[in-house]
Amino acid sequence: MVTIEPLSYQYSSRSAPVLDGISLTVADGALFGLLGPNGAGKTTLLSMLTGLLPCQPGTIFVDGQDVAMPGARIAAGLALVPQDYAFYLPLTVGENLRFFAGVQGISKAKIAERVDHCARLTGIQDRLQERAGRLSGGLKRRLNLAIGLLTEPRLLLLDEPTVGIDPHSRHFILETIRDLNQQGTTVIYTSHYMEEVEELCDRVAIMDHGRLLREGPLPELLSAGEGSLENLFLNLTHRQLRD
Amino acid sequence: MALYRALIRKEFLLLSRDPHGLLLLFVMPAVFVLIMTFALQNQYAMNKETRLDFFLVNQDGGSLSAAFARELGAASPFNRVSAEAPEQTLRQRARADEVMFLVLVQPDFESNLADRGQAVRLLIAPGTSPVFAGIAEGRVTELLNRFYLQYRMAFLPGISAGALDTSSSMVASESLFDDSGMLPSSVQHNVPAWLLFAMFFIAVPLSTTLIHERQQGTLMRLQTMGVSRARVLAGKVVPYLLVNLMQVLVLFLIGLYLIPLLGGDKLTLGNHSTGLVLVSVAASLAAVCYALFIAQITATVEQATIVAAVCNIIMAAIGGVMVPRFLMPETMRQLGDFSPMAWGLEGFFDILLRNGTVVDVLPETGGLVSFAALMLVLTFVFSPRSASA
Repeated sequence: MVTIEPLSYQYSSRSAPVLDGISLTVADGALFGLLGPNGAGKTTLLSMLTGLLPCQPGTIFVDGQDVAMPGARIAAGLALVPQDYAFYLPLTVGENLRFFAGVQGISKAKIAERVDHCARLTGIQDRLQERAGRLSGGLKRRLNLAIGLLTEPRLLLLDEPTVGIDPHSRHFILETIRDLNQQGTTVIYTSHYMEEVEELCDRVAIMDHGRLLREGPLPELLSAGEGSLENLFLNLTHRQLRD
Repeated sequence: MALYRALIRKEFLLLSRDPHGLLLLFVMPAVFVLIMTFALQNQYAMNKETRLDFFLVNQDGGSLSAAFARELGAASPFNRVSAEAPEQTLRQRARADEVMFLVLVQPDFESNLADRGQAVRLLIAPGTSPVFAGIAEGRVTELLNRFYLQYRMAFLPGISAGALDTSSSMVASESLFDDSGMLPSSVQHNVPAWLLFAMFFIAVPLSTTLIHERQQGTLMRLQTMGVSRARVLAGKVVPYLLVNLMQVLVLFLIGLYLIPLLGGDKLTLGNHSTGLVLVSVAASLAAVCYALFIAQITATVEQATIVAAVCNIIMAAIGGVMVPRFLMPETMRQLGDFSPMAWGLEGFFDILLRNGTVVDVLPETGGLVSFAALMLVLTFVFSPRSASA
């Protein structure tokens, strides 16, 4: 279980906090959607969950352990799949998977097995010899996901994992995430695609300007009379352009 | 250990797929060494095949001036190029650098000689180095002095012409390099000089990979996996140190085998290979840490490439890579004392030119290691703050 206790963060270059007293609980086995317009604070929250940014103030507990403690995030089985293609384009798919497995301390004997398993899970098993830089957008997204699955994470943070890809790849990735969740992986999913979140997630939080605007089970949010998640989102975030 | 094995393997794979980086690290210095070694061969090897070609116009016609012209043509390292042409034509040809200089034996040579007047004019071709012009002037003056003494003393009884020989056979010069009497050649200067230049160019491929990692979010991903920034940087030091040492090996092999095969002088490694290894490792450490610093202070690959290239060229220019420091005026030499390339070069020269020992290279290696430490500290000072992974 992920428990976030009043969490704030302010960049020194900005006058307003990016996160302003966010409190949240994500139950084990949940498929939790985190929504918000650009600049809402989603990426900052994920960065704090993964330890890239310190909590100032606030605390994040995963399975009862404070993630600020050394090694806690690794012990909590937490993995991030970032929005960027965060791997090495000149290396092959196989070399990338073996490298990220190696740096995460997976034993030499187990690396081949994990690489093979994650490649199959994400449908890139026939592309292991191909340079990552030559893959299509959809295949790159699947490699990005496969790297995140190497350590069999119990908590998977997905930052817009379907941006800029074709419908087939998107469908495949969503199915994979659903399968992982059904096997017990807790997923925190951020996206700008409302229909994806509506289709996938059982619980949703909408945030803006660093604050939590609404949070609850998806059917409960939809029954509030807005008709769709997109309408609810636009009403809560006041519809004005952000960029 | 598995972490570093993975990081090191990754760096080697990335470098092996970067043809431009390999070109910069291995082909560029090899080409520079070959070109500069052969281009400057004569500048360093005065004792060997240096030939000072010249035209001579005898405007006098007397027997003494004819004897002078004959002896000048036969004197080493002069080589009189025969040319039956008017003075103006020969001037034009000398101006076009066909020869190094034109000797004009003046009319009334004998009386000019007797009065210590201007007996000969030396017209230096524009492409002749001041060093060769000085040698030519010295040797012509020496020959004129001998002719003057012979002319004057011939009237004195009991003095033979041989007793008036003022030639350089009265002086014996020896190299202090070692007991073999071998003189250092241009290969001894150029191999270490261009090697150091290339070693510092490691900044380009290293900063390219680090900036790509930063821009693509790979560095951030590694941090979320528990691989701290310090470990990522440490994982770069070892492979790039090894690449630098491979550069040392390749360029030394070129000096030892390829250059002699092409007709140049063979590189002589001296008798203290431990000192050579020490300088190589210290220079490599300095180059890699400098590369990390460049990668840290620049935001894009384009910026890193430009900053690294400009800094390297300045360090090389003042450090004696492009122009030997002994040719520089005092102020420039003092300026060169600030270049780590100069320290590395002096370290290599201690072994390759002065046949020095490990003790002799300690000051230079100390300077290089201190420079490496300073670069490493600055790299962390300029590093973006983030929570430890």
